[in-house]
Amino acid sequence: MAARINAAISWIGRVGVTVVAIVVGLFVLADMAADRWAGTLFGMSGLKQIIGGVGYFLVGWAAIVIAFTLLLGVVNVVSVHLRQIQTKKPNSIYSIVLLVSLVATLIFGVGGPTSGGSQFIFDYILQPLESTLFALLAIFIATAAFRAFRVRDLETFFFVLFAIIVLLGQVPVGLYLWSELPVIKDWILDVPALAGTRGILLGVALGTIATGLRVLIGADRPYTD
Amino acid sequence: MNQLLLALVFLVVFAGLLTFFTVRVRTGSRPTLRRIRAFDAMEGLVGRAVESGRTLHVSLGVGSVANQTTADSLAGLAVLDFLSEQAAETGISPLVSMADPTVMLLAQNGVRTAYAQAPAEEVEEATQQVRLIAPQPAAYAAGVMNILDSDEVDGTVLVGKFGDEYLLMGETAARHRMAHIGGASDPNTLPFIYASAQETLLGEEIYAAGAYLKDIPVHIGSLIAQDTMRWVVALVILGGVLIATTQWWWLWIVVALLTLALVASIVMSSLR
Repeated sequence: MAARINAAISWIGRVGVTVVAIVVGLFVLADMAADRWAGTLFGMSGLKQIIGGVGYFLVGWAAIVIAFTLLLGVVNVVSVHLRQIQTKKPNSIYSIVLLVSLVATLIFGVGGPTSGGSQFIFDYILQPLESTLFALLAIFIATAAFRAFRVRDLETFFFVLFAIIVLLGQVPVGLYLWSELPVIKDWILDVPALAGTRGILLGVALGTIATGLRVLIGADRPYTD
Repeated sequence: MNQLLLALVFLVVFAGLLTFFTVRVRTGSRPTLRRIRAFDAMEGLVGRAVESGRTLHVSLGVGSVANQTTADSLAGLAVLDFLSEQAAETGISPLVSMADPTVMLLAQNGVRTAYAQAPAEEVEEATQQVRLIAPQPAAYAAGVMNILDSDEVDGTVLVGKFGDEYLLMGETAARHRMAHIGGASDPNTLPFIYASAQETLLGEEIYAAGAYLKDIPVHIGSLIAQDTMRWVVALVILGGVLIATTQWWWLWIVVALLTLALVASIVMSSLR
């Protein structure tokens, strides 16, 4: 009996959440459409304002919920690294450094993101570290290119051929080797590469719309068990 | 207003086709999906990890579920659902990483659902393996590189929203010669995936995870709807180019009729 009641409560919860998700989704979509609609909606002058007002509130609530998830994220980070330290995993010293940094940033950040302490952390610790890491990309691109530039089949042959033309077309020596190289490079980037990119973007746009529609009609429910 | 009307009509037609094809798939009219090697490879990843005595890393990228990257994040979550279900049957807990807390909550939910039949300790352990690394892409990449450098991981699947930081993670995986499947929708990231991953999901292929891996009717239905709409868009673009070149405005009627005939033929072929 208890199991049946639990199952019924769970079912009602799932249906309730799905109904709320669909209604909210449709309302925000209607708000977006009404916002761009010139003139009154169905001859009712106040309807646009009502939809706009409710849509504004719903988006505002979503922003608050998202901000709250950041707190849960911090809890996750702390619990993961505390566990690393407790179980004495290799390199757990880095977990200690991370937790100390987290507490230090919280203390320095009490004055807000524009305070001197926060600015110091961003300008002299975070940004240089990020720049250093992204600087590694230059080396990683070289090693990736070394591996990718091996002709294995027709596809990789064209990959390598086009890459060499574009590389030579970008640098001054290409012009000295053959004056047409920069022109061919421009044609490759402007015609076949752009056409391919637009084809991919078209597919991605359709895939995104399909995903959105599935969530909107309640067919995909990532928010329920 | 014309553009808005056009967008709404497009959306309504898309939704109608999606519903129609989903019903057709549910009633047994299943299309043959072209082979995507990355999805085939995913099916063997968990087994390989079990044999090696290590685990699998799944990255959901730097996207969120509250902005324009939502579809990419949901695609990564669909892959995670499949791998978690497989992992739950074999007893390993995949290491899941992401850069956004909203995605973290959905990932925890997905993992908990996959382990629903498992003992409470196993569910707890699997949920604890879902890790928020850091919101900044560079910091996230550094965290994932650290995971991949450890001896715990046998293979990695990176599907979701990624930028340049992908190469930092992809090259680390390539250096360790681990099984590596990558997928993203951003055209700027695709060369990095192509250069570093063993199997790739390029562009819209990432959105097909539900149809290929889990055989969900609505996902298969949406794939057919996407293909139909792609034909429509391609025909309209070609027609537009032809009309703009020739200035024969009456060609719009031909293009419209051709488009209608194409949609009708796809619908009719699914009814057979």
